[in-house]
Amino acid sequence: MKIPFSWLKAYVPLTATPAQIADDLVRLGHEVEAVELPRAAVHGVRVGLITAKQPHPDADKLSLLKIDIGETEELAIVCGAANMGEGDKVPVATIGTTLPGGLVIKQGKIRGETSFGMCCSEVELGLADESAGLLILPADAPVGAQVGEYLTLEEAVFDLSITPNRGDCMNARGIARDLAADAGLPFTDISVAEIAVDTAVTTPRVTVSAGQDAPVYMARRIDGITLADSPAWMQASLLMAGMRPINGVVDILNYVMLTQGQPMHAFDADTLHGDITVRSAVDGEDFAALDGRELKLHTGDLVVSDERSVIALAGIMGSAASGVSEGTVNIVLESAFFRPARVSETRRTYAMVSEASMRFERGVDPAVVAMAMQQATALIIDLCGGTSGEIAVCGDAGAINAGRTVSCSLSRIESRLGVAVPAALDVVLARMGFVMQRDGDLLTVHVPSFRHDVTIPEDLSEEYARVIGFDAIPTLLPPLATTAPVRPDRFIHDAVAGGFLQAVTYAFISADEQRLFVADDGLDIALANPISDAMSVMRRSVWPGLLNAARRNLNRQQPGVALAEQGRVYLRTDAGHDENNVLAWLMTGEVEQDQWYGDARAADFFDLKGAVETWLQVRGLNGRFIADDSMQGLQAGQSAKIMVGRAEAGRIGRVDTDLAEQFDIDAPVFVAELNLDLLPQGKQAKFAPLAEFPAVERDLVFLFDRGVSSEAVLNAVRSGGGKLLTDARIFDRYDGKGVPDGKVSLGIRFGLQDAKRTLTQADSDAASSAIIAAMDKRFGAALR
Amino acid sequence: MSEIDSLKAQLESLQSEALSAFDSAADSAALQLLRVHYLGKKGALTEVLKGVGKLPPQERPVIGQYVNQAKAVLSAALDRCEATLSAQGKSARIEAERIDVTLSGRKLPAGALHPVQQGLDEITAIFAQMGFAIAEGPEIEDEFHNFDALNIPPEHPARAMHDTFFLKDLTHGDAAEPMLLRTHTSPVQIRTMKRFLAENGEPPLAVVAPGRVYRCDYDVTHSPMFHQVEVFKVDRDVSMAHLKGVLKHFLSTYFEKDVGIRLRPHYFPFTEPSAEVDISCVFCAGKGCRICKGSGWIEVLGSGMIHPNVMRSVGVDSSEFSGFAFGLGVERLVMLKQGIPDLRLFFENDVRFLRRMGVPL
Ligand SMILES: [Zn+2]
Repeated sequence: MKIPFSWLKAYVPLTATPAQIADDLVRLGHEVEAVELPRAAVHGVRVGLITAKQPHPDADKLSLLKIDIGETEELAIVCGAANMGEGDKVPVATIGTTLPGGLVIKQGKIRGETSFGMCCSEVELGLADESAGLLILPADAPVGAQVGEYLTLEEAVFDLSITPNRGDCMNARGIARDLAADAGLPFTDISVAEIAVDTAVTTPRVTVSAGQDAPVYMARRIDGITLADSPAWMQASLLMAGMRPINGVVDILNYVMLTQGQPMHAFDADTLHGDITVRSAVDGEDFAALDGRELKLHTGDLVVSDERSVIALAGIMGSAASGVSEGTVNIVLESAFFRPARVSETRRTYAMVSEASMRFERGVDPAVVAMAMQQATALIIDLCGGTSGEIAVCGDAGAINAGRTVSCSLSRIESRLGVAVPAALDVVLARMGFVMQRDGDLLTVHVPSFRHDVTIPEDLSEEYARVIGFDAIPTLLPPLATTAPVRPDRFIHDAVAGGFLQAVTYAFISADEQRLFVADDGLDIALANPISDAMSVMRRSVWPGLLNAARRNLNRQQPGVALAEQGRVYLRTDAGHDENNVLAWLMTGEVEQDQWYGDARAADFFDLKGAVETWLQVRGLNGRFIADDSMQGLQAGQSAKIMVGRAEAGRIGRVDTDLAEQFDIDAPVFVAELNLDLLPQGKQAKFAPLAEFPAVERDLVFLFDRGVSSEAVLNAVRSGGGKLLTDARIFDRYDGKGVPDGKVSLGIRFGLQDAKRTLTQADSDAASSAIIAAMDKRFGAALR
Repeated sequence: MSEIDSLKAQLESLQSEALSAFDSAADSAALQLLRVHYLGKKGALTEVLKGVGKLPPQERPVIGQYVNQAKAVLSAALDRCEATLSAQGKSARIEAERIDVTLSGRKLPAGALHPVQQGLDEITAIFAQMGFAIAEGPEIEDEFHNFDALNIPPEHPARAMHDTFFLKDLTHGDAAEPMLLRTHTSPVQIRTMKRFLAENGEPPLAVVAPGRVYRCDYDVTHSPMFHQVEVFKVDRDVSMAHLKGVLKHFLSTYFEKDVGIRLRPHYFPFTEPSAEVDISCVFCAGKGCRICKGSGWIEVLGSGMIHPNVMRSVGVDSSEFSGFAFGLGVERLVMLKQGIPDLRLFFENDVRFLRRMGVPL
């Protein structure tokens, strides 16, 4: 919310600098996004009159303008906007001007046509972040004048971010009241002269049948207006506040809302039929809103209606048919207090936000409902002429939040804040409208009606904190708790120790990516409101995210990529849904690069398998890798499920080559994933005496059928090799020249040891014979 | 010449012949052959001793003495030459085995923790050392835990500011209320308190809860997924002064310097009073720079005293107990500490970035 300095000064005689005011506002809890300084920078932007407008010969969207800026020669300017025509006055940045954004205007050619300057929107003048075309200046703007001077743009503007609890501060008046109380300066409301009532003008009668939701509703008819542009000073201040001038009536209502805080509405009286009722909508009732949307309303929605139809969704938006337009001569003004929760619910139901709804939702000051009606009437009659009828009122603004009292013990507030709250602070709170009463430790506070947010003792502690300032609260370390800290898991840390870079990818992926590794079993969880299709489904595997990361890195000329991610995967279950913690790996390209000591080597299955095995081993676990050709997205013959204990805890394999190609990856890609929630607790080892007698090693080489599983071979060696056997492994594997087709040569190295004696030749011969027999029996394998 | 003189002369010439042979031996192996040739069981000296038999018995000891002397001289010379040759051989070997120690070592591939992970680890460690227990919670949440229990009822304007991701056709229990992705780690406050109270009856408890959170907001300075850490403590007589103490200790420890902190009154539905917390700018030491927009202060987190409605939603008597809570954005703190200019770098997973940020500075 933007507030020009002069708006505040209209209520409080502030003498401090804008920077000092900004500091005070921050201390009071009003976040200052920026203090925009005087706009000397727009010097050189002048009021220009468009005398001719022709299409650019070579560009549909550009126009060639002739503009009079009060000099002897008119300027030829090429312009891309569409909202201006001959006779309009617009701001023209002349050659040499430096705009607030830093752009320096030079003579230039646009599509072959020379342009001697630039026509400006609010954006170029630094008045708004976006705009729908050129800023059209009032018709009476003097041609050639400096726009900055004409619009009196030379003043500081506070850009504030008002917290949702302070509806009373979404306007200049509320902010000024806080500043006045804080500084001990007088606060004066804007006075409006008594308005003469024309008895010939009959305001519609007002009935409120949903009294809870609209505790006070006022209407007043004004007849015989001539819709005019609002005066230049008002247009300028609205622009500084970030609001675009539209027409006299709308501008005045916006001005009253921004300064006084009361959202108002104007109906074209000639479109209304009979009296006005504020009521709950009938289920299915039609409403064609001002923004063009056609709504079917629900019971409970608060509406303003005449005798035929709904003319406004209360506090949110008027109807298209009843709005003020060019030809309007008679109007009905509305000023009301609508219950915040009611407005909020309707706003959410129809996703329909307006400046008015934002204020009603946060709670407006009940005292301003009538004040705003008087001020708006006076301003409209002053600008547009006309005469006004009586105000029709239903309800009592004075009853809203009346007599609200909060009482509590002072010591409770002091213990919450950790600092004493001397009675001197009550003076400041009294200036903010609170009626403070102390009786020993008992504090009783009458809360002003505009402070919808103060209802419980803790709210008072916040008010005290605001006026005492957080800096006055000491900084104390509390006594330390004795909770034993939980030892953090080291899942990702151990993966990283294995040479992988930790990745963090989004938890949502595209539906197509989801299908790469998981069949469509109806268990996906999709977002109802995704940012894009690429981020629309909660992932069930981390692999697509890692593949995307791998693609990006390979595109950036990385010879190899080794990534690991710890995160969650999500799926539906019978009970609703589940989140599982997983650890995933991806490896592709070179694992070793060309070096003086060796040649580059591309990653293969066993690089990744080794990483997973080591990772499991570190936590006292053993994985069994069981070949599985049926895993979606993985290449048959190079994929396995990973059993840990009795759980099928993960998968590993080579990504299907067609699938890898979808990620533009030519090199083999290997991926693994472990479900961390399924891993059993690793066992801590028990001590065993270390052997004192020497061990011996023997090698045996057999010819096996090619499809043999080395795990099965080693298991057979271990079970058949006798009780002295300590260890066995495959030390050589060969299926090249000299090995018959369909066969593979495996070299088995096994160790023997006895805890009580040195082994003899006979011992190792016996073990060898046993193993030879076992290989023959189990695999039909012969010594080579 | 007498027999004894002749033997003596024979010995002397043998000794000088041997000494010069030793000196010119090329290596240890040659020297070993010479040792056998002169001093061995069948060596030249033993041959000389064989001539002793021809001498009269009284002269024999004299020659024996000469032979022993020669033996000692030759042995000593052999040892000396042996030592010299071995020293020469070793230095030749050393020279032959000289390497270029500036060549690269055989490196194991180096992994690296993601900078967000490093931040999470550091932050949780600081609180763990202060006695806060680590807790986690689900990312798929219901509206009660994400909003209602935190004093954000459906009509509350703050609820609209949360840019919530809702999940399609996934509801909470039998209710029609849609499930959502948590927008902050504060629901862990609710879940942890409920669990703790069920087990222990009443406070005190102090918890640090790290995790991923989601907001439907995606541009240069917003990521739809990011990380937060929720910190809270509930006990008797917990005050804002304690909140300030914990914040000061945490922020100074994390930034490894004595940072100034400033609390500004703010509004959060789940705390009362609420405060935004600024630190003195870590880039300009508070003098004012581009990063802090000249103010000398940088906003880092939101905090406050837990609202009595939140206490009530978990069944804590707020007239007896009080607590503070704050939530911080991990990416933001890491960016400030490590000078990372762009939020998007965290989620691109460019290995050059990951490697660079993985090396301790
Ligand atoms: Zn700075």
